[in-house]
Amino acid sequence: MERRIGVYICHCGTNIAGIVDVEAVTEFAQKLPFVVIARDYKYMCSDPGQELIRQDIKELGLNRIVVASCSPLMHERTYRRVCQESGLNPYLFEMANIREHCSWVTEDHSAATDKAKALVSAAVRRVFYQEPLETKEVPVNPNTLVVGGGIAGIQAALEIADSRHKVYLVEREPSIGGHMSQLDKTFPTLDCSACILTPKMSLVGSHPYIELMSYSEVVEVSGYVGNFKAKIKKKARYVDVDKCTGCGECANVCPVEVPNEFDLGLGQRKAIYRPFPQAVPNVFAVDKQGYPPCRVACPAGVNAQGYIALISQGKFKEAVEILRRTMPFAGVCGRVCTHPCESECERGKVDESVSIRSLKRFMADYELKVGREKAAPIERTKEDKVAIIGSGPAGLACAYDLIKEGYPVSVFEAAPQSGGLLRYGIPEYRLPKKVLDNEISYIKELGVKIKTNTPVKNLEDIFNKGYEAIFLATGAGISQKMGIPHEDAKGVIHALDFLKQVSLGIKVDLGERVAVIGGGNAAVDAARTAHRLGAREVSIIYRRSRAEIPAASTEVDEAEREGVNLHILAAPVRVLTKDNQLAGIQCIRMELGEPDASGRRRPVPIEGSEFDMSVDNVIIAIGQAVDKAMLPKELEYTGWGTLAVDQVTLQTDIEGVFAGGDVVSGPADVIAGIAAGKEAAISIDRYLRGVDLKEGRPTTIKRVKEVSKEGVETKAKPAMPTLDLEKREGFTEVELGFDEKVAIEEAKRCLNCGVCSECMECVKACQAGAINQEMEEETVEVEIGNILIATGYDAFDPSPLYHYGYGRLDNVITALEFERMINASGPTEGEVLLKDGSSPKTVGIIHCVGSRDKKYHEYCSQVCCMYSMKFGHLIREHVPGAQVYEFYIDLRCVGKAFEEFYNRILEEGTIFIRGRPAEITDVAESPEEQDKLIIVSEDTLIGRQRRIPVDMVVLSTALQPRSDAEEVARLFSIGRSADGFFLEKHPKLDPVATMSDGIFVVGCCQSAKDIPQSVAQASAAAARALAMISAGSIEVEAATAAIDEELCSGCKICYDLCPFHAISFDEEKRVCQVNETLCKGCGVCVAACPSGANTGRHFTTEQLMAEIEGVLV
Amino acid sequence: MTNTIVKAPAAEVSFIDEVCSIPGGEAIRSCIQCGMCTGSCPTASRWDYTPRQVIAMVRGELRDELLSSNSMWFCASCYTCTVRCPRDIKPTDIMHALEIIAIRDGLSTKRSRTPVMYKCFVDSAKGNGRVYELGMMLKLFLQTNPFAALKMAPVGLSLLLHKRMPLRPSRIKGRGELKAILDKARALGGAK
Repeated sequence: MERRIGVYICHCGTNIAGIVDVEAVTEFAQKLPFVVIARDYKYMCSDPGQELIRQDIKELGLNRIVVASCSPLMHERTYRRVCQESGLNPYLFEMANIREHCSWVTEDHSAATDKAKALVSAAVRRVFYQEPLETKEVPVNPNTLVVGGGIAGIQAALEIADSRHKVYLVEREPSIGGHMSQLDKTFPTLDCSACILTPKMSLVGSHPYIELMSYSEVVEVSGYVGNFKAKIKKKARYVDVDKCTGCGECANVCPVEVPNEFDLGLGQRKAIYRPFPQAVPNVFAVDKQGYPPCRVACPAGVNAQGYIALISQGKFKEAVEILRRTMPFAGVCGRVCTHPCESECERGKVDESVSIRSLKRFMADYELKVGREKAAPIERTKEDKVAIIGSGPAGLACAYDLIKEGYPVSVFEAAPQSGGLLRYGIPEYRLPKKVLDNEISYIKELGVKIKTNTPVKNLEDIFNKGYEAIFLATGAGISQKMGIPHEDAKGVIHALDFLKQVSLGIKVDLGERVAVIGGGNAAVDAARTAHRLGAREVSIIYRRSRAEIPAASTEVDEAEREGVNLHILAAPVRVLTKDNQLAGIQCIRMELGEPDASGRRRPVPIEGSEFDMSVDNVIIAIGQAVDKAMLPKELEYTGWGTLAVDQVTLQTDIEGVFAGGDVVSGPADVIAGIAAGKEAAISIDRYLRGVDLKEGRPTTIKRVKEVSKEGVETKAKPAMPTLDLEKREGFTEVELGFDEKVAIEEAKRCLNCGVCSECMECVKACQAGAINQEMEEETVEVEIGNILIATGYDAFDPSPLYHYGYGRLDNVITALEFERMINASGPTEGEVLLKDGSSPKTVGIIHCVGSRDKKYHEYCSQVCCMYSMKFGHLIREHVPGAQVYEFYIDLRCVGKAFEEFYNRILEEGTIFIRGRPAEITDVAESPEEQDKLIIVSEDTLIGRQRRIPVDMVVLSTALQPRSDAEEVARLFSIGRSADGFFLEKHPKLDPVATMSDGIFVVGCCQSAKDIPQSVAQASAAAARALAMISAGSIEVEAATAAIDEELCSGCKICYDLCPFHAISFDEEKRVCQVNETLCKGCGVCVAACPSGANTGRHFTTEQLMAEIEGVLV
Repeated sequence: MTNTIVKAPAAEVSFIDEVCSIPGGEAIRSCIQCGMCTGSCPTASRWDYTPRQVIAMVRGELRDELLSSNSMWFCASCYTCTVRCPRDIKPTDIMHALEIIAIRDGLSTKRSRTPVMYKCFVDSAKGNGRVYELGMMLKLFLQTNPFAALKMAPVGLSLLLHKRMPLRPSRIKGRGELKAILDKARALGGAK
C-alpha cells in the first residue's frame, strides 16, 4: 500500500518554538519522501491540534502519522488515541521529541533547528516501515498484596478491603503498626499516635477482607500486571496465632531477657514476646536465633543456655530436668567434663566465659542436697531388646536414650560395680562415688537393667538370648608400656590398676618416694592419690614443657599446691633395679624441637644429660589401649588397635552390633563417650525400626550468627572454692562448688546467645496450648492482581558522626529513642530521664543529622524540622522549666498548620539557633560547663562561635531507605532513585506507580515523608489498584519480542537474560517462546539472540536502521 | 561589613568566579551557610569574619573588605572544616587561595604577621634550599615587631641548647635548579 505520511510540528507555546525554527522544520518535512502534509501548530496536544490530525487522516487519506513535540512519555497515548479514533492502527504513529531533546537542552537556535529536522526525518523514515499491531486484553485478579504493615500499608489495605476486595497484608515484624506505633505525639496537631493508629490496626486485624500475614516476608514474585503470584514465607513464630489469647503468662515465666528492639534497646523484653501491648495480631512470638555456641560446642549437644537461664531464675530443679533431656550426668560432668562449651562461650569475648561446668555441678548438688524424687519408670513401648556391653559413660548414655525411646535395655558389666572409668579411674576426691551412684540409680529407676560381674565373651550368646542389637562400649582399659629396660620390675605399677585398686579399697603398698610418668589426667590423679596414701615425695615426670601438659590446668595447679613435684622436659630411659627390686629411675633431659603432627612441639633428648632419681615406686600413666583379649574375636580393628566402625552410624562390620566410646576413639574424655553413646542410640533405634541409618546424618546445626555484646559490663567469674590444704588428708572432695547466690549471679553473666533458651517453661505455662517449640517456617503462594509496596524506612544511625558522640557520650540520643522515652508506654513510662535518672534542665536538639549532608544523605528528610519542634514542646510539657535549644539550618514548615506550629513553639520560648553544630563534647572549659554536654556551633545569625552547655542532646536523625531496599527492588522489579528510595513512574504526575505495571509504592519507601502524605499516597495507590480491579481487564503493550521458531536454536540465552521472566522454553520443540503479556519490549533478548530468531515488534531491524539513516541525512 | 553597601560584581570577572576558578574553590556556590566550618574552627574567634562569613562575603562580592581582613590568615590548616563540610566545600583551600590573591593585590593586612612570615619563609627556602630558622625568625621580627622577639628568646635558647636550631644555615646542592622551579611557579601563579 502506498505510504501517505502526515507530519505535525508542535510549538509547545514557546517551549519549542522559542528555540527551534518550527516553520523551517515544517518546510523541511514537507519535502521529505511520502510526506503528504506537514503542519505546525501552537499546541498540537490541544483539542484543535488533535482535530487537525483527525481531519487530515480523513480528508487526505493519511496512513502514517508523525508528531514532533514533547516526550512520548507525555503524549504518545494522546496521539495514538487520535489515530485509533480516526480508524488508523495506533502503531502507525511515531513521535519525535524536539522539546526535551532539542529546545530544552540548548540555546543555539540553528543547532536546535538542525537537530529537530534530523529527528523528524528519522521519524518519517521509521514510520514508513511501521506495521499495525494488535494490543491484548488480560483479566485482572481482584486480590491485592500489600507489603508492609506501617501506616501506609494499613491505610491502603483498609481502603481496598472496604471495597470488598481481598487484601493480603504481609508484615515482617510480629505486629503491624510500623514506625508510627513507636511515636508518641504527631505534629502539628499533637494528637497521640497510638490513639489514632490503633483503631486502624484493630480494624485490619478483624477485617473480613484482609488476610493479615504477620511475621512473614515475600520471597518470590512472578507474573505480570493483573496476574501476579507471590510466595510468602511465614517465619516460625512458635506460637499458634489462632490459639494464643495474648494473656502473657508465657512471658512471665520466660527466663531470658534481651534488649527490646521496639524500644530501641532502652528496655528489655523476654525471648517470648509481643512488641507492644496493642500489637495486632495480639499474639506472642518466640525469638530463636539458632543454637548457642555452648550447645554447638558440646559433643553431646547439651542445652547449657537452657539450664543456665533457669538457674538465673532460681529454678534449680527445672534446670536439672533440661540437662536430663539430653543426658543423665549432671553431677559427673559438672565435675570432670573438659567443657568444650566454655571455650566457645561468647561471654569469653567480653571478659571470661561463663563457668558452665560449675553451674552444672551446682544444680546437681542442689538436687542431691534437697533430695531427688525417685524417677518414674518409662513405659516399654518397643519389643526389641537391646544389650549394652560396658557401663561407662558411653554405655550408660546409650542405655539412657534408648530406655527413653521405650526399648527394653540391659547393660552387661564385667566389673563388680557399674560406671566404668568414672568409678575406677577418677579418684574420690574429684568425683565422689555418691554423686555417681545417684546418677546411675536414676538410670536404673527409669528401667535400665545393669548386670554387674557379667563379662561378655561371645556376641552370639547375646543374640541367642533374644537381644536384637548390641552396643559395645568396653573402653580402653589397659595401660600402655614404656618400652624401656626393667619396666616389669617389682614396684613398677600402672596408673589404671593403681587407681582401680584404690577405689576398690584394696590396700596398695607404696614407698616414700613415688615417680609418676606421664602428663595426662590419669598421671595427675595417680600422683595426687599416691600423695593421699602417704607417699612423702611424689614427682610427675613429663617429657614436654608445662604448657603442653594435657591434664586440666586446675588439676596440675592443685597437685602442685598439695606438694607434688613437677619434672618437666624429662623422660625415663631405664628403670634402675637392685636384686630385681626397683631402686630408681634414670631419666634424660629433653628440649622442644619442631612441632609434630599434633601441633605440639616434639621433645628431643639432650645428649649426655641423663640423671638418676631414687624412687620406691614408679607409676606409669602414658596412655591406655583397647584390651582385645576382652573382646569377641570376630570384630575388625583399625591400625591404632581400636574397633573399626562406620564414622557416622558407629556400626561395626557385624550387622546389629554398634560400638562407641574409648573402644573406638581410644582414650578420650567423658563427654565424648556420652556423645558416642547418644549417636549409637540413634543408630540402634533406626536399625530396629528398619529405617536408613545414614539419612540426614550428621545433622546440620544452625549456630547463632552474631551475638550482641553492646552494653555488657565486664564482670569476672567467681573462683571455685576449694578445700583447705591442711584438710586434704583423705579422699574428701577438693572442689566445694558454688552456693546458691554465687550460682545465680554467675548464671546471670550468660549472654543468652540463642535468645530462646528452649527451657520449655512457656510451654508449661500456656493454658491455651498455643506454644509449639517445634514449629517450622512455611511458604504459601497467593495470586493477586496488584501489589502495593509500603516497606517504610530505616532511621539513620548517627554513630559514624564521631563528633556528635552518639554511643560514646551519655545522654546523646536519637529522635526515635526520644520518642520511646517520652511515650507513656515506653521504657521510662514517659519520663524524660538522663542516664543518672534525673530530669534534664536544658536539652539541645540538632536538626539535619545525616540529612542535607553529602557524606550521608544529600536530601532533606522532610519531617525532622517538625518533629524536632514537637520534641521542644513535649520536653517543656514533661519537664516544667526546661530550656530547649533547636539547632537548625533552615526551618521547613511546609504543610497545613505547620507554620502555625512553628509560631507556637517560638512563643513557648524554645530558643532557635541557626547553625549546624560542629561537635558535642564533655570537655568543660568553664565552671558552668562542668558535667554538661557542650554543643559547639556557630550562631550564624550572630556570626559567632558559641558553646551551649546542655544536659541532653537529641539528634534529629534522617529517614533513609531500608537496608534491604536493593533486594526488595529486585524482588519486585522496580527501580530506585539516586537517593536509594524506590523510584516512582513520574515524580509529579504518577507518584505512586512504578515502571512495573500493577506495582505501586507508597509511604516512606518512596521518599521521606510525613504521616498525612503517606496516608494520602496509600489512598491514591488503593484507588489506582481498585480502578484496575473494577475495569476487570487491562490492555497490554503490543510492542513485544517475537521468536521465529524456525530460526531458534534453543540456546536459552534470552531465557536467562529476560528481566521479566517472559521467556519460556518449550522442552518438546526445544525452542524459546515469548509470553506476550509478560514481555515489556525491553529488547534485551533481541540484541542477545545469536541466530537472529528474536525480533522486537515495533523495533524491527528495518525500522531502526531507517531511523538511524534518517538522523544521519 | 554590615555598613557596607554591596556593589554589583565588576563587569569582567566577579569575585565569586575568581574564587571558583581556584582548585578547591569550585563548590563554593553550593554552600548552605550552615556554619559547620566556623563551629569546627579552633581559631575562628579571632577572625574578623568567620569562615562561613568569608564564603558569604565572596558570594556578596565584598572583595577588598575581605582581602584586607585578618580572617584567612588565622587558618591553621587543621582541615577540620574540610573534613566535616556537608557540601564538600574545602574551606582550607579557599583560605589559602584568598591569601594568595590578597598578597598579589597588595591587600594583605598588617594586623597579622602571617603574610610577612610566608614571605620570609619562602625567601629563606629559596636562598638555601631549606629553611634557616634563625635567620628567618630574625628577619620576621625585624620586619614586624622586634620587641616580640624578646618574648620568643627563651624558646630560641632552649632550641639552641638542644641542638634543634643550627646557628649557621645549611644549604642544599642544586640551588640554581630550585630557584628556576620557584621562579617558574611564581610566573605561573602570577604572584608579585
